[in-house]
Amino acid sequence: MREIAGYIFSVDFANAILRMSTPLLFVSMAAVVGAKADVLCIAYEGMMLTAALGGVIASAYSQSLFIGLLGGLASGMLIAVIFAYFMLVLDTKPMLVGLALNMLGSGGTIYATFILTGSKGNTNSLPSLTFPSLQIPLVRDIPVLGQILSGHNVLTYLSFLSVIAVYVFIYKTPLGMRIRAVGENPDAARSAGVNVVRTKFTALMISGLLASFGGIFMTMGYLNAFTRDMISGRGFIGIAAQNLGQGHPLATMICTMVFGGATAAGNMSQSLRLPSQIAQMAPYVVTLLGLALVGMTDRIKKRTTRKKNEEKKKSKEE
Amino acid sequence: MFKKAASPNALIERRFNVLRTAIAVTLALVIAFILLLSVSKHPLDDMATFLFGPFTSVNRFALMFEKVTPLLFTGVAVCLMYACGQINLAAEGAFFAGAFVCTPIAMQAGIAAGLHPVLCVLAAGCAGAVICGIPAVMHVKLNVMTVVSSLMINYVSLYLGLYLVLNFFRDPRAGYEASYEFAMSARLPSATNMANIHPGLLVGVLAVIFGYVLLYKTVFGYNVRMIGQNKRFAQYSGINVGLTVILVQLLAGFLAGAGGSMEVLGMYNRFKYTGLTNHGWDGVMIAVLARNNPAYVPFAVIFLAYVRTAADVLSRTSEVPTEVVKVIQAAVIIFIAAESLLSAWEHRAIARASKARLREG
Repeated sequence: MREIAGYIFSVDFANAILRMSTPLLFVSMAAVVGAKADVLCIAYEGMMLTAALGGVIASAYSQSLFIGLLGGLASGMLIAVIFAYFMLVLDTKPMLVGLALNMLGSGGTIYATFILTGSKGNTNSLPSLTFPSLQIPLVRDIPVLGQILSGHNVLTYLSFLSVIAVYVFIYKTPLGMRIRAVGENPDAARSAGVNVVRTKFTALMISGLLASFGGIFMTMGYLNAFTRDMISGRGFIGIAAQNLGQGHPLATMICTMVFGGATAAGNMSQSLRLPSQIAQMAPYVVTLLGLALVGMTDRIKKRTTRKKNEEKKKSKEE
Repeated sequence: MFKKAASPNALIERRFNVLRTAIAVTLALVIAFILLLSVSKHPLDDMATFLFGPFTSVNRFALMFEKVTPLLFTGVAVCLMYACGQINLAAEGAFFAGAFVCTPIAMQAGIAAGLHPVLCVLAAGCAGAVICGIPAVMHVKLNVMTVVSSLMINYVSLYLGLYLVLNFFRDPRAGYEASYEFAMSARLPSATNMANIHPGLLVGVLAVIFGYVLLYKTVFGYNVRMIGQNKRFAQYSGINVGLTVILVQLLAGFLAGAGGSMEVLGMYNRFKYTGLTNHGWDGVMIAVLARNNPAYVPFAVIFLAYVRTAADVLSRTSEVPTEVVKVIQAAVIIFIAAESLLSAWEHRAIARASKARLREG
């Protein structure tokens, strides 16, 4: 037990949480933007996979980090564009497009990996680049806190910035307000002169961009190559975190960190002689319990407001 | 088996559905050919192999039916869940749960040969029902989004199964991560020695018939479809929506779980899975192709099994990886589900037919 406690309060663990949270944070922010526009998109998984491979390929052949980033973003966004086109223009059920695009992401990336490297498993033979980690001057020198906050991958810092950016975007900009309007009541938005299809399309593009960053981190920060199906459900966890946080960027971020923590604990559990499967299962069980809890509190809230209303009526009658 | 069209317009709609399916398949094959061009040295030969591969030998044809069995179960299961409007993706987890729950029972020696597989399948079905039932109950009682909870429960099922099998039933002599061998009395024998065509195929066909009769020939099925089309209307007409939604998903989970156990007992001698098997996701695709009607499930399943077998043959005779199939599958789903594809044409046809009827009087 002491070992576990020792680990949980260590700097390593805090660092691991931040690292594990990065891709989840990006994709959960993508899910926040998507959910605000009332789009049920499960294709984040596919977007992340394609972006992850796109970044590797573009950076390997150009030997430029910037082109790698662009390549990754472009390939992830391509999936987002297909999703938006089929959902908004061809009236396809979003669930099904999402399902198909995840399949395309999984199969397509393995296929491309095979063509380029001759291996179906990974791109270890490609000389791809990774994003550098950042030592923050001053902060670095603070004891303990400096070790936790400084020295992470550039994209990790970007992921936390994205939370603030999404918050400001959704609640403080005209486009963000239009996205919320379209999500909450498309008819009202339409009558106020908002182009619903175009607004949803824009929201999906922003979602795609964020999810792609998450994918790129997986191959150009977290690891340094692409391995098949490496996203393994992170896109889905992003959706769950968004759901748990009830669509609010900051609440979603906290849920994401819980996931990150559970994943970090899972990775560490083997050395602590805990069955690894139980630890791997933890984030999913936590989500389910969280969802149930949110549902229960909603129910209780509704019941108490109903009771209050009834009491008010009674007191008025008296 | 198929209901008569209610009106001439329904006939036109069905014709366009068929046309859309045909276009989707054609487009998917074109994409397949383009993919082949990118890796293959003999794209035309390889395309021929891909199109007719399963017919090139009796063996290969038999192998196709090996793939059919599990998909019949998950296909019908997803049809049932989607017919009542629930986007429950837990068929994947239910299939896996069926597989791991039947493992300890199948390992027991000394149960009568006829009874043993039945016990395994029943236990597996119950496990599947629990997995699909949890998101359903959470939705009805706590208003939790089924999509999210069912995605999560798939992973719970996966890791719980791996934990149980690898910590309690693992055979250290197997040389890889697997359970102890199943007792011979539990295994489903194969009808031929060319492929593992076991009694599960027959049960699968029965499951399809059961699903069709339940959904289209009973009051319960009518209620389910009514809820799927308009939940509020169903509620106002006096249907117990919550109970029906939960029941149908328990039932679907049972089918998926039973399918999982029959796949394991028919195909393998131990529990060997190390990850989710994708049968549940395939079930979703089948339900889409079959438009949630179990009567069309066998056609969709055979199509999928054919494409899979063809890709297997192709990967053996050429350097084309089997993952081609996933890309083709994605293309098929996306084009079939694209409801507005050809819609202008369809509207024109319906308008023309209606005008003609008006003129006739």
